[in-house]
Amino acid sequence: MRTYDAMNPLAVAVQLLLTACITVFCMEPVLLVLSLCAAMAFFFQRNGMGHRGFYALALGLPLLFMLLNPLWNQHGTSVLFFINNRAVTKEALYFGAVTGIRLAAVLYWFRSFSDLMTSDKLFYLLRFLSPKLALIFSMAVRNLALFRQQMHRIQNAQKALGLYREKHLIDDVRGGIRVFSVLISWALENGIITASSMAARGYGTGKRTSCTNYCWKRQDVTLLLLSLLFSGTAIVLIARGYLERQFYPVIQPPVHGAGWYTAVTAYAALALLPLLHEGKEALIWYRLRSSI
Amino acid sequence: MLVIRSERIRHMLGTALPFAIMPALVLLLPVGIQAQYYALVSFLMVVLALLLFLSGFERRELGTRRMILVSVMTALSVIGRLLPLIKPITALTILSALYLGKEAGFLVGALSAVLSNFIMGQGPWTPFQMLAWGLIGLFAGICAKPLLRSRLLLYGYGLLSGAAYSMLLDVWTTVWTYKEFTLHEYAAALATAVPYTVLYAVSNLLFLMIFTKPIGDKLSRIRKKYGL
Repeated sequence: MRTYDAMNPLAVAVQLLLTACITVFCMEPVLLVLSLCAAMAFFFQRNGMGHRGFYALALGLPLLFMLLNPLWNQHGTSVLFFINNRAVTKEALYFGAVTGIRLAAVLYWFRSFSDLMTSDKLFYLLRFLSPKLALIFSMAVRNLALFRQQMHRIQNAQKALGLYREKHLIDDVRGGIRVFSVLISWALENGIITASSMAARGYGTGKRTSCTNYCWKRQDVTLLLLSLLFSGTAIVLIARGYLERQFYPVIQPPVHGAGWYTAVTAYAALALLPLLHEGKEALIWYRLRSSI
Repeated sequence: MLVIRSERIRHMLGTALPFAIMPALVLLLPVGIQAQYYALVSFLMVVLALLLFLSGFERRELGTRRMILVSVMTALSVIGRLLPLIKPITALTILSALYLGKEAGFLVGALSAVLSNFIMGQGPWTPFQMLAWGLIGLFAGICAKPLLRSRLLLYGYGLLSGAAYSMLLDVWTTVWTYKEFTLHEYAAALATAVPYTVLYAVSNLLFLMIFTKPIGDKLSRIRKKYGL
């Protein structure tokens, strides 16, 4: 079974980023609700019922924006009621809710993106851009763990030297700064040693080849092509204004033409790609197991 | 993939993009392009600017040692986080730029943004943070001489870059939430972000006051010792 996070990082990144970006730049409520549902379903599929707080975000953010938007937004014509002589309009409430849904959907997509795109995958993507940069980045990630360990070692040494009093704020801060300062000296020298040993092993003398853990299978290519196709369709139609909505002064009803349906369907297909993939894999797995 | 081969064009782009083309586009956009695409275009522009700068970097001779030091400074600036909101990234970016050059400054700033967002959460704001911190480093590297000479000027730069960082990110906040950029909404976003702006500026100043002497000494020692 090949789960979605085992797919080629480039294909996954393209799919997730395009889905999120279209959500960021669109104001059609149907599309946004679709996006939020797909993002939440994918998140649920991966994480189950953990992260309750994050699920609350999907409900809380639209509500919050719906309540807050009328406070600073006085546009709109259908007044519902007044608070402190400020008109609360239906349009402002609606716009706030739509904005909230949009933000929640984007946050969900990027949460999935962060979960899926671990630093090694980002490193793989960065290599397309610049191998040198990818090397710096991967070393920085590695240094992060290394420095944490070293920091603990320094802290313990400082404690053994008796340089900390019991729980004392100023002492803690000064100690922290001292530890950090020691860490920096060590890190810089260590970096120079690394560089020297790299030079000794011939770094920078010739053309470098590299090895990668990720390959392109037919599935990956299909995923990439499908995401490009669906997102391309949606983006072209959105750019031509088929999903254009006006909220002020009155909420305009959407024009449900062929363009609207095509754009929303294409987007739905794009957003559901991860779930479809997982569903297909689960089905194949189930079939294989039941045929044993 | 995106490597530009001609050195002259690369150099021209490297300096023209952050200083001339980007600000000009930001100012011209509302006039030339319909408001609803402003968010999209500004986002793409930031990503493109980053790509151009970073890809030009591939062909630049930075030297192995300096390259490693960039990765070291990046990791240090991420690890030096005391509280979630108070980060020494700006201070360390500025210091790296002063002692290791403007490219190193840009890289430390931009990469720290990505790296710290692994902890804080990635989002559409990541490219903006990368650009903001990268530019802070780049400018510091360009003005290295006067900044190294006068401590007061350095502190001023720290305060200013804190405010500039917050203001640049508020451009994104406005564009993202309201889909268009109007001064009125930008002002509202700035007003709500005032505590953060102050926090950034003050924490930059604080970190610069604490770190300039020790880190500056260490970096200049390394520079002298190994002839960077």
